[in-house]
Amino acid sequence: MKVQVKNLRKEFGKTVAVDDISFSFDSGHVFGFVGPNGAGKTTTMRIISTIEEATAGDVMLNGVSVCEEPELARRAVGYVPDTLPAHADITVHEYLDFFARAYGLRGKKRTQAIDAIEEFTNVTGIREKHLKALSKGMKQRVTLGRALIHDPDVLVLDEPAAGLDPRARVELRELLVLLAERKKAILISSHILTELTEICNGVVIIERGKILETGTIDEVLKKSAPRRTVAVRLLDGQNVQVLKELLQTPFVGNARDVAGEIHFELTGDESAACDILGALVAKKYKVVEFRQTKANLEDIFMNVTKGGVQ
Amino acid sequence: MTAAFAKLKSHFVNWRAWELNPIVIKELRQAVRSWAVTGMLLLFLIVLFIASLIFLVTQSFDASPNMQLGGIMFSVFVVILAGASVFFIPLYVGVRVAVERQENNPDLLYVTTLSPARIIRGKFLCGAYVALLFFSACMPFMAFTNLLRGVDLPTVFYILFYLFVAVCAANMIAIFLACIPASRPFKILFAIAGFFASFWIVIPLIALSLEFMRSGVGAMMSGRDFWIGTLTALAIIAAITGLFFVLSVALISPPSANRGLPVRIYMTVIWLLGGLLAFGWVAQTGETQRILVWTYSTFIMMMFSLIVTISNSDQLSLRIRRRIPRSPLKRPFAFFFFNGAAGGLLWVGGILAATCFLTNVITRAFPRTAYPPITASGGNVWFITTAAYAFAYTLTALFIHRKFLSRRSPRLAGLLAVLLAAAWAVAPSIVLFFLNQLSWESVSGLQLGNIFNFFSLRNNDQRIDHEWFACIWLLVMILVNARWFLRQVEQFRPPEKQLEQSIIVPQ
Repeated sequence: MKVQVKNLRKEFGKTVAVDDISFSFDSGHVFGFVGPNGAGKTTTMRIISTIEEATAGDVMLNGVSVCEEPELARRAVGYVPDTLPAHADITVHEYLDFFARAYGLRGKKRTQAIDAIEEFTNVTGIREKHLKALSKGMKQRVTLGRALIHDPDVLVLDEPAAGLDPRARVELRELLVLLAERKKAILISSHILTELTEICNGVVIIERGKILETGTIDEVLKKSAPRRTVAVRLLDGQNVQVLKELLQTPFVGNARDVAGEIHFELTGDESAACDILGALVAKKYKVVEFRQTKANLEDIFMNVTKGGVQ
Repeated sequence: MTAAFAKLKSHFVNWRAWELNPIVIKELRQAVRSWAVTGMLLLFLIVLFIASLIFLVTQSFDASPNMQLGGIMFSVFVVILAGASVFFIPLYVGVRVAVERQENNPDLLYVTTLSPARIIRGKFLCGAYVALLFFSACMPFMAFTNLLRGVDLPTVFYILFYLFVAVCAANMIAIFLACIPASRPFKILFAIAGFFASFWIVIPLIALSLEFMRSGVGAMMSGRDFWIGTLTALAIIAAITGLFFVLSVALISPPSANRGLPVRIYMTVIWLLGGLLAFGWVAQTGETQRILVWTYSTFIMMMFSLIVTISNSDQLSLRIRRRIPRSPLKRPFAFFFFNGAAGGLLWVGGILAATCFLTNVITRAFPRTAYPPITASGGNVWFITTAAYAFAYTLTALFIHRKFLSRRSPRLAGLLAVLLAAAWAVAPSIVLFFLNQLSWESVSGLQLGNIFNFFSLRNNDQRIDHEWFACIWLLVMILVNARWFLRQVEQFRPPEKQLEQSIIVPQ
């Protein structure tokens, strides 16, 4: 399954919520969709899920246009919105049963699908509970179960981890990894960027409806953080001397003491890092640790976005 | 045709695999657990019980037994049942749909593979089942009144039946109002308006029920007229329910769908059937004015259609264009019925012209109660004048929208047409009222262009002036919009083969 977002644009009156954005992702990929509040993430996700209509552009799911053939596209998409189910007077099992029927599952196939989803999302124990009586984390599981009930190829998750406790977050992360292994194409938006770094293959950074960066995590990291940060820990408080030396070394910049460690930015490649380490050891400095600290998604996000909303 | 037949056959052969509409299952599960339905049902039963008790206890103190007690009790039960079911059930059904359709709370039911028609059918059936619940609760009380004399059993069941049909129709109207894409304050206004409009249903229903009780349905059942009247009323209620059904389906269908097609086909069919029914009545009774029921209702229906039609987008989605017939013989018919303002205008114009023509032919063909032909000078010039004004206003609104507001939603064109007509009806009157020393007489004079002024005039010559003005204005607007119209006709063609093949339908 290939998901292609093509020149998508959405206007609400004079406000351009999504401004000509394009990106694509495939089966087995978990694609992070990040941006400040009001960047256009939810609108894009709602368009992909056929809830919202695009002003221009299109989203193709294996060649099926969500704008032209929303009924066909719906078979392929499972959507987890940022709002939790608020249905009154209905139990978890009945809720899942209803959506299974709505997606056309019949007889034994429906029973099996519901049982499998209840087990997968670990809601078997609460299946007879009323939806309104559930905690946020449990409701999130039920919503995920509902989105998966028809076994869609594409999963669109809007802030699924918001408000979840640490255990629920870890469990959600594990579920997503499992789903990616089952060859689902997953688009997930979240403000918890450290978590996204761990599970995402690719990322789209969006602000004011425009894409700022897109690609695989490594590509984006490379593009947005060309300098590598190196951390050095020394024995016996030799930091001041080493700092002075480093500041005179080529390719090194912004050397500073961070909580007893020396951090500096290196513009050269890995052999340059080796040379520096060699030089420090040759000058008899007692190097306990010499490591490159990779820039994470959070650093990139802070670098590329300005926090603007439209 | 063969494929459709095979599909239908396999549907009936596999009847064991039939399943209830998922919406019905979900809605009923929620209804039986909701405090609103159970509370209302309990209250309803308590009221019925107390009313019965009061009647029976007071009767027991009476020295001379009332031989009409059953009838009196039944009429009270009819009032309670009609009140409870016409006010409560449509409100319950409508509110449930409206809550699900709220923009900030997207009910994910609308992103499933359920078709819009199945969703609306499910909501309608749920309303019918809830109504059935209330009627079943009431039925023993009503049947009991038969034992107390004053009402016969056929009357009891007949009144229950048509009350039930009326509640189902009211449910459908409530679903339609709830489907209208409006904000929450507007939906609350619709609910309030719907509540007050329910009085228009309840009061005649109760009056009719009392009339049936007085006459006794059992005695009338042997007469042919009774059945003709009953079937006509049923057909009209079914047509209205069906109309609101197709309108609701169109409202919740995706914007890229050919929403105009089922609505226009349905309206054309009921227009034809209604015409036949009205003609049947005229032929049966010889009273030509009976055809006017059809004429007036068609006119009102088409005026609403005109506003909706011009709110259609000029750009047809690829999905609709793929369904445009390639045959040059079939394409003109499709143009009338497919989405789009230009085709819609032709469709409305065609139906209005045919209605006017047929009404004239029928009124002339049955001279026994020679009713003035609809377009007779000084008689019913209103039809042509009002239709011409309506078209002139809508074409003007279309022109303004296209020239100055083309980037705004096409819905604005419909709104603009209503606002133009309203503004021209109100503004000159206010100016004249103040310029002429607050005299109302000046306001009631000739105001060309004011669609409502026509009806307040008594002078026939002034009405003819209106007719001329409306027709000239319409002609000017037709000329102004001619290029746009021709472009629409030209663009109404299926997509090129290459473009069509680029769409891959999943297995």
